[in-house]
Amino acid sequence: MSPMWGSVEQYSAIHWSWAIAIYLFLAGLSSGSIIVALLVKWNRHERSNSSIWDAMIKAGSVVAPVAIFLGLLILVIDLGRPLSFYWLLIRYNITSVMSLGVLFLLIYTPIVMVFMLLVFERTVIKYPFFAPLESLINVVKSFHSYAKIIEYFLFGAALCVGSYTGFLLSALYAIPLWNSPLLPILFLTSSLSSGVAVNILIGLLFFKSTINPESIKYLLVLDTRVILTELPLLGLFFIGLFYAGGDVSHAAKMALTEGFWAGIFWFGVIGVGLGLPLITVIIALRSHVYRVGYVVINSMVVILGVLMLRYYIIYAGQIYLG
Amino acid sequence: MAYFQARRDFLKLATKSATATVLIPGSLGALGEVALRGEDKFVRSICEMCSSRCPMEARVINGKTVLLQGNAFAKEMGTSLCAKGVAGSSQLYDSQRLVSPLIRVGKRGENRWREASFEEALNLVSTKLSALKERYGARSVIFSSKTGEHYDLLRSFASAFGSPNVFSHWSSCPIAIESAFHHTFGEKLHRDFENATYILNFGHNLFEGLDISLTKAMAHFCANPSKKLVVLDPRFSIIAAKADEWHSIKPGSDLAFVLALLHVWIRDGKFDHTFVEQYTIGFDALVDAVKETTPQWQQTRTGIDASVVERIAAELYAATPRCIIDWGHKATTTQAEFQRSRAILIANILMGNVEKEGGIYLTKSAKRVNALAKESIVPELNDPFPRLQINEPRIDGAGEEGAYCFVSKQHGVLTAIPEAILSQKPYEIKGWFLTRHNPLITVADPQKMKEAMEQLEFIVVNDIYLSDTAMMADVILPECTYLERDEGISTLTCKVPTYAMRNKIVAPLHENKSAIEIIRALAERMGYGSHYAWKNSSELRAFQAKGNAELLQTLLLRGVASFDVPFFCARESSLVERFCERYPKSRAWVDAQGCFGHLLTHLKTPSGKIEIYCDAVEKIFKGYGVPRSVDMDVSQGLPYVLTSGKSAVHTNGHTQNVPYLSRLLSSNPIWMHPSTAKAHGLKMGDTFYLQNAIAKEKATVFITEGIRPDTLFAYMGFGRDAPSLARTHGKGTNVSKFLSLASAPICGAMITNVGVNIIKA
Amino acid sequence: MGKQYRLIYDENLCIGCQACSVACRVENSVPDEVYRLQVHLHTKGEFPNLGMNFERLSCVMCENPPCVSVCPTNASFQSKDGLVHIDERACIACKYCILACPYHARFINPLKNVVEKCNFCYETRVSKELLPACVSICPTDALSFGDMRHKHSLVHQKSHKEVLVFPKAHLGTKPKVAFIPNRKGMKS
Repeated sequence: MSPMWGSVEQYSAIHWSWAIAIYLFLAGLSSGSIIVALLVKWNRHERSNSSIWDAMIKAGSVVAPVAIFLGLLILVIDLGRPLSFYWLLIRYNITSVMSLGVLFLLIYTPIVMVFMLLVFERTVIKYPFFAPLESLINVVKSFHSYAKIIEYFLFGAALCVGSYTGFLLSALYAIPLWNSPLLPILFLTSSLSSGVAVNILIGLLFFKSTINPESIKYLLVLDTRVILTELPLLGLFFIGLFYAGGDVSHAAKMALTEGFWAGIFWFGVIGVGLGLPLITVIIALRSHVYRVGYVVINSMVVILGVLMLRYYIIYAGQIYLG
Repeated sequence: MAYFQARRDFLKLATKSATATVLIPGSLGALGEVALRGEDKFVRSICEMCSSRCPMEARVINGKTVLLQGNAFAKEMGTSLCAKGVAGSSQLYDSQRLVSPLIRVGKRGENRWREASFEEALNLVSTKLSALKERYGARSVIFSSKTGEHYDLLRSFASAFGSPNVFSHWSSCPIAIESAFHHTFGEKLHRDFENATYILNFGHNLFEGLDISLTKAMAHFCANPSKKLVVLDPRFSIIAAKADEWHSIKPGSDLAFVLALLHVWIRDGKFDHTFVEQYTIGFDALVDAVKETTPQWQQTRTGIDASVVERIAAELYAATPRCIIDWGHKATTTQAEFQRSRAILIANILMGNVEKEGGIYLTKSAKRVNALAKESIVPELNDPFPRLQINEPRIDGAGEEGAYCFVSKQHGVLTAIPEAILSQKPYEIKGWFLTRHNPLITVADPQKMKEAMEQLEFIVVNDIYLSDTAMMADVILPECTYLERDEGISTLTCKVPTYAMRNKIVAPLHENKSAIEIIRALAERMGYGSHYAWKNSSELRAFQAKGNAELLQTLLLRGVASFDVPFFCARESSLVERFCERYPKSRAWVDAQGCFGHLLTHLKTPSGKIEIYCDAVEKIFKGYGVPRSVDMDVSQGLPYVLTSGKSAVHTNGHTQNVPYLSRLLSSNPIWMHPSTAKAHGLKMGDTFYLQNAIAKEKATVFITEGIRPDTLFAYMGFGRDAPSLARTHGKGTNVSKFLSLASAPICGAMITNVGVNIIKA
Repeated sequence: MGKQYRLIYDENLCIGCQACSVACRVENSVPDEVYRLQVHLHTKGEFPNLGMNFERLSCVMCENPPCVSVCPTNASFQSKDGLVHIDERACIACKYCILACPYHARFINPLKNVVEKCNFCYETRVSKELLPACVSICPTDALSFGDMRHKHSLVHQKSHKEVLVFPKAHLGTKPKVAFIPNRKGMKS
């Protein structure tokens, strides 16, 4: 029958587009960078100020709030009715991952701000430009005694934010590619890898620090480790989908073989995001050449790969429904 | 009028009773206690979105229509209505409707207009028509209309004016079957789908050309596993999809299949001998005519295996008399149209299903029922549209000596118009008055028709939209939609006498007038006022009802009126008995078999009986007295046959621009089998040209398994040239452009199957 | 005790005529180019062995509605009668529910910029004892609607007479819309 039932566009529309992909990326980046910063702070922080470790903590404490604010801004603007976003703050639905996300963010965002101020309190005081913040700093100073608790709390909140973006998608059983229990873990892992990468990158570029071949090697190996956990997770993710059968395995097959988004997956997510860094690391480790440039490029492609993973999951999920 | 004064009260009543009405189906009554709000009002009327004229009901809130649905007071309707019917409100509120009279300022067809008042427009029309009559005679003006009250009005007006040249849409639609009925039974019969057990269907597409009561009956028939439907159609239509068996018959070859059925039944002696003997004449001539039309013979013509004919013949015979060989509405159509239609009727006759339950039956009109009962149980109506006898020859020769001697003078042959205008034979034609008629879309060869229209001095069109035909007018008189006007009483009788009435649902939104107002005003201006016994619609109704206030009240309140007359089939003794119990005087008619057999021996045929053989036809058209094989070719030597039909959401020409319907289906890509498309290198949605001797037109392709490889199919009514129909302008292909003006012999039917070639764009 | 509404769609009676779709548009002023309800027709097989399936697309009024559980502002909610409605005021058009619906029943109303879907014509008809517009209008009686608690209701009777299929039942959504599947297979 030639169609005589009118437009069918609404059935194949992309409801969550680039804005959501970027938000998921930024939320992951924020939580990843703060988690990495905290881990570094707890495990590696020698009181020598100009080390790469110190730079990474500083980077994390700046990137996390900036990324989450930017992400939330994009998220609210992308709503069909941005001005009605306050309903999110008035009414809660505990069965809705989105609603839980709002709660997490309500906890996470202020703490991440406080953490940033704690890290930068001396810098802030130094510049007259930040004078208006002084009173705030004084308040923050009163938190000093709770610094450790705040850090633990922040770590927990960051874990929640980092994984909720995965649960946000995996809660929807209408969308086979999203409805996987591995998705939150996959998202959290890739958040961490983007966190490592962004902290190194921002640390190197903005918080001038001394860096030696030893720490470069360490950072490259760290990157590799994260990637090596991500790869099998991606593999498991798709294997899980294949064995789910029916529409789900069909959707997974399509997502890996059909059209533009399969290309993004193989070239973007796998090739650029995972393959390229692995190759650089292997070459660097083999030839024992530890240049800062390697680290910078490596970090950039890792971040790009993580962004493309979010794009891929968002779009392919809505397109390939089985 | 007293009854009219009381109308408001009835409408209040209607509101109150409405709750009960709408609750009949599905019985939602027990669901809740909340009553309808006071401002909800229900008005019942007749739909006009197609020509099926289904009784409908409008829910009105604050003077605005909310939902249109079927009128449950008409039992067979329930609250059902089709997509077109529901979209009536979309037409009502359409911003692209005509809202004021237009007078041409540019060249004819240039689509440049100035708005005018009705006063000015009507004055202009009456002056111009009078001038034409003065100068060239009344016969120089053609009047054409869609069927229904518009046609009755216009025909009456034309007779007052003095022109014999009145045309309905019949010759572009059901004229072949109407003519076949006329020559076989002297009147038209109906199909009792509800009670049938076996139906053989030749593409009667009730699921895409909807007529609610018939469609509903057929849907229930299809869904019932104990019944059987066989469909013969070159296309896998929706009714084919719902059938138990579908055979993709070669276009135009229905006749061969039916002749083979007749052959098998006669060969095996498997038909209702008693019925044939008692009620028909000319059976022997049929025996002779179908001697050679064996199942093998038909196989080469229809592409259907001989064994299928044998089997279906046996199945039909086993199902007698509860079987129907369905003649359709507008048929396939071919040169062989008259013979095809007659052959199908005669197949029914051999199965003895006439006036049997589950078979075919005569209209149980008020007149017929009253005569049987020997008392006035159903009010009969006055004809409010008087017609004077015009003793002038028609331009198409319909009903006069010649090729169209058997075509009704009332309906004429539309395809003969262009030639008559262009050649000025038999005499000069100078004017054309069209009401709700769009021949540039619905009649063959619109190219030629347009050329002819350009020769005319004055064209006046009454329509709702600025259609392709309206574009050729000098004056356009915008009619209000059916939701904004009152009309007279119309007859819906099939099984039992039923009347219906179109009641105004909302006040006209614009300056528009109804056809009644327009024609009556013209008659007044031109001095024919005394022709009519009424001045407006309320007087018309009162006159028609012979002052029967009760009937009018019922029609105002309920939209339909039936009279609790029990349905009977003249040859079902139990039903006849039931009728006699109710109306004892009718026992006088009952024959030895307990039937009203006289109904079938006093028909309006020359012999009074059912005529298998028509002597009158045979005398003038040798070989046509009984169905026999005639030329069935529709491809004219070209590789493909282009067929056309309806979709469920559009009529053949009126609804394509209605907003809600245009959104559902806005174009008519040509159906093509994948192998055909492949042979021409076409992919889904590709553009190509269709070409034959008459036209070469652009089209797009819709590739589907649901059609024969040698056949193409398109929905009617697209390919519009009128820019004012902005939603549909320039979309799709006008398939009428490929059709020839040559019509089918005897009946004058337009032939809508045509040979074409596929040319790559 | 709340009502137990049920809507039954009989594929055997449906002819795909779109009357329900237009009635829905008229009754609910559904804007252009979006649909609360559509009926799709699918031709299957190869010429001349063909069949046709009919598919009705609209909200199925789940007993366990995923759209309600994912809505962050409770704008999508279930009434005590078990019907799923949308509180337009609180809808922020995050489209989470659109993605959560396995039946593709939800869309953005482009004029109001809120999520919309079939509501069984609750406000304008069912609450006033009228049948939903699609049910009322159907030319072939393919739709029936009523309360399953009433033994005499058409839906109760049909539910006991016919084999009902609940769309995507394996998801555990428990739809209130059921269909009677096509009995006609391929033609030969």
